[in-house]
Amino acid sequence: MAKGESPLKQFEIQPLVELNLFGQNISFTNSSLWMTITTIFILAFFTIPFLKSKKTNSVEDLYPSRLQVAAEMGFNFINNLITDTAGKEGRKYFPLVFSLFMFILFGNLFGMIPYSFTFTSHIIVTFGLALGVFIFVTVLGFIKHGFKFFSFFVIPGLPIYMLPLLIPIEVISYLSRPISLAVRLFANMLAGHTLLKVFAGFVSALGFFGILPLVFIVALTGLEILIAFLQAYVFAILTCLYINDALHLH
Amino acid sequence: MPQLEQIEFFISQLFWLGVFFVILFVVLTYFTLPKIRAFLKKRDEFVNSHLSKQDELIKKAEQLIENYESKLNEAKDKASQIINEAKENALKESEKLIKETEEKIQSEIKKTEARVDQEKKQALVDLEGQLKDSATSFLGKITNINKEDIKI
Repeated sequence: MAKGESPLKQFEIQPLVELNLFGQNISFTNSSLWMTITTIFILAFFTIPFLKSKKTNSVEDLYPSRLQVAAEMGFNFINNLITDTAGKEGRKYFPLVFSLFMFILFGNLFGMIPYSFTFTSHIIVTFGLALGVFIFVTVLGFIKHGFKFFSFFVIPGLPIYMLPLLIPIEVISYLSRPISLAVRLFANMLAGHTLLKVFAGFVSALGFFGILPLVFIVALTGLEILIAFLQAYVFAILTCLYINDALHLH
Repeated sequence: MPQLEQIEFFISQLFWLGVFFVILFVVLTYFTLPKIRAFLKKRDEFVNSHLSKQDELIKKAEQLIENYESKLNEAKDKASQIINEAKENALKESEKLIKETEEKIQSEIKKTEARVDQEKKQALVDLEGQLKDSATSFLGKITNINKEDIKI
C-alpha cells in the first residue's frame, strides 16, 4: 500500500474490459475476474479428481486420491449440513447450497491473497446472492403450499388479538432476511480487510517497531481465514434453514 | 467507500455474478455432483459387499476351526484307545505266557516226581531181586542145595 492511500482503496472496482449491453455498463472488472477464477477453481477442484476412468471395480480405482478426499470432504460437509437442517426433502436443494457455499467460501479465501480482490466485500454482490436466495425460498414456499404459505406469518397457538401486532413483525422479519444475510457477509469481509490494511499501514509507519503490527497481521490473517470459512458456513446454513421453513412452514 | 460510491458498476457486478453463479450452479448440478455421488455410491456398495463377504469368510473360518478341533479330538481318542488296547493285549499275552510256563514247570515237576517214584520202585524191586539172589546163593553155599531149587 502506497503511503497515504486509503485502506478502502483495495475495494475499488477497476474495469478491465469495457462492455455495454442495451445501454448498460457491464464491463468486465477485477471483481468479475476473481469471480471467473473462483468459478473455474471450484469446478476444477471438484471435477478433476473424479474424472479418471473407473471402468473396473478394483480397489485401486475406488481408493480416493488426496485431492479426491478433499473434494469428498466438501461434498459430505454440505450434504450433512442440509440433511441436518432441512431434512431429507431438503436434499433436493443440495446443489444450490453447495454452489452458494463454495462460491462464497472460495471468493472469501481468494480475497485473502495479497493484491487480489474480494468480490464478497461488495454489498451489491452479497445482496445479489441474498436476494436470489430470498426469491428462491419464497417461490419454493408458494409452489409447495400455495396461499397457505401466508400462514407462515401466523405463529400457531397464539391468541387472536395478538395477531395484528405479530403479523407485521413476522412480515418485517421475513423481508429483512436478505438484508441481514447480505450485510452480515459484506460487513465481515469489509471489516476484516480494512483492519488488515490499517495494520499494514502501521508496519511501514513504525519502522523497526513495525514488527509488532506485523505479528498482529499474521494472527489476524489466520482469524480472517477462519471468518472466510465461517461466513460462507453461516450463509449456507441460513439458506438451508430458509429452505426448511419454505418446505415445512412451522 | 467504493462499495457504495461506484454505483456505475452495480449492474456490471450483478451481471457477472449472475453469469458465473449460473455457470457454477449448472455445471455442478448436471456434471460434477452426479459424478461425485455416483462414485461415493459405488464405493459404498463395494465396501458393503466386501463387509458381507468378510462375514461369510469369518463364518467359514470358524467352521473350519471347529472341524479341525473335532477331528483332532477324534484322533486323540482313537490314539488313546489304540494305546489302551495295546497295553491290554500285552498284559494278556504276558499273563498267558507266565501261565503256560508255570504249567510247563508244574508238569515237568510231576513227570520228574513220577520218574523218581518209578525209579524208587524199580530200585526196591531190584534190591529185592538182589537180596533174593544173594540170599539164595548164600543158602546154596551153606546148604549145598542147588541154587535153582531154593525158593524163598
